[in-house]
Amino acid sequence: MLIALWIVVTRMLIIFAVLGVLFLAIVLLNKLVGLKPKEEKGDKE
Amino acid sequence: MPTGEFLGFLHLTWQATIMLVISGVLMWLGISKKMEPYLLVPIGAGCMLANIPLGGIAESGGLLAVLREVGIKTEIFPLLIFVAVGAMIDFEPFLQRPYTIFIGGAAQFGIFATFFLAYLLGDGWLHVLNFTLQDAAAIGTIGSADGPTTIYVASVLQTKYIAAIVVAAYSYMALVPIIQPPIIKALCSKEERAVKMPVVVGGTPQRTKILFPIITTLLVGLICPKATPLIGCLMFGNLLRECGVVESLSQAAQNELSNIITILLGLTVGGMMSGTEFLKPETVLVFVLGVVAFALDTVAGVLVGKLIYVLSGKKVNPMIGACGISAFPMSSRVVQKLGLEANPYNHLLMHALGANTAGQIASVVAGGAMLLLVSGIH
Repeated sequence: MLIALWIVVTRMLIIFAVLGVLFLAIVLLNKLVGLKPKEEKGDKE
Repeated sequence: MPTGEFLGFLHLTWQATIMLVISGVLMWLGISKKMEPYLLVPIGAGCMLANIPLGGIAESGGLLAVLREVGIKTEIFPLLIFVAVGAMIDFEPFLQRPYTIFIGGAAQFGIFATFFLAYLLGDGWLHVLNFTLQDAAAIGTIGSADGPTTIYVASVLQTKYIAAIVVAAYSYMALVPIIQPPIIKALCSKEERAVKMPVVVGGTPQRTKILFPIITTLLVGLICPKATPLIGCLMFGNLLRECGVVESLSQAAQNELSNIITILLGLTVGGMMSGTEFLKPETVLVFVLGVVAFALDTVAGVLVGKLIYVLSGKKVNPMIGACGISAFPMSSRVVQKLGLEANPYNHLLMHALGANTAGQIASVVAGGAMLLLVSGIH
């Protein structure tokens, strides 16, 4: 049972580590290549 | 002429009879109810063929047995499907909202919680059922809400419940519009569901779209190598789509490849549903655990959505957390519908698609992580 618990915890950590690195890479990519002019606005009601 | 060779109905067992009825139900759901017809029609047909006595199509040397050997056991079918899926997905909504990757990560929680539960019911503690660590890991992967990932992990782990796992995974994908709304409504107030998110105007440059699959393959592959086949094929398909110089290959991946593999995969999965293999108490439990996995994914995704809602100063609708499960694009449609119900001017589709495509990547990473650690222990 402890093995299973260990697997659950370490796997979630690995997933967030990989996704965290990917997140940083995409943010960096967006900064380097740049998004096309972006404007944020609310929907018109 | 010996009756044993031509009067097949004399050899019908009760298991085969039940499976023939199930095959009819699957085809009826696909054809009449239009529930995942591209999957349920070939699966139903494969199931029917496999359970006709004396036909031999699912026995050694038969068509369905050969397809199982070359397509499932070698993991080729799920990987080729991923090339097609990658060619069909536009990751722009995700690239515009990279924070949704954390929603995708959280929504994989159901995989591991279900794995834990299955292992406790099996060899881990209660020994109620014959679930080994590998079986539990494969069952948990139903929660990836991603058919090819589920098939791939189940094949690599060589679980004996692969047929039930794959059928459960694809069935629940069709049931996302039924499973998710009550959970979302229970966790999000009407005020939260009505939150409008700002429209992002302006597109992602093509260079970003081209670099994205290459960078993702390298990063995920180098950190979590077991995920390389899955992420590599998914991102290769996406590169074909985005690079702009191989349009015919992109179209072939999206159409011909996708259709051919869908036919072969569906028939093969159906062919694995022979009565003696499928009709076991464990099969029922696999289906129950599959619902648990989908539900826990949704709960975890929405809870992280609520966290982001608070951290963003109530600018992010927490419902998009439900799209962190990979069921693409069904969960996005569910959130769009619920958003419009709460506020007729609330269009969440693109935001939901961002989380949904992030969930696609996260589910592949989760599948790789599952393989990494299980293979590390055994």
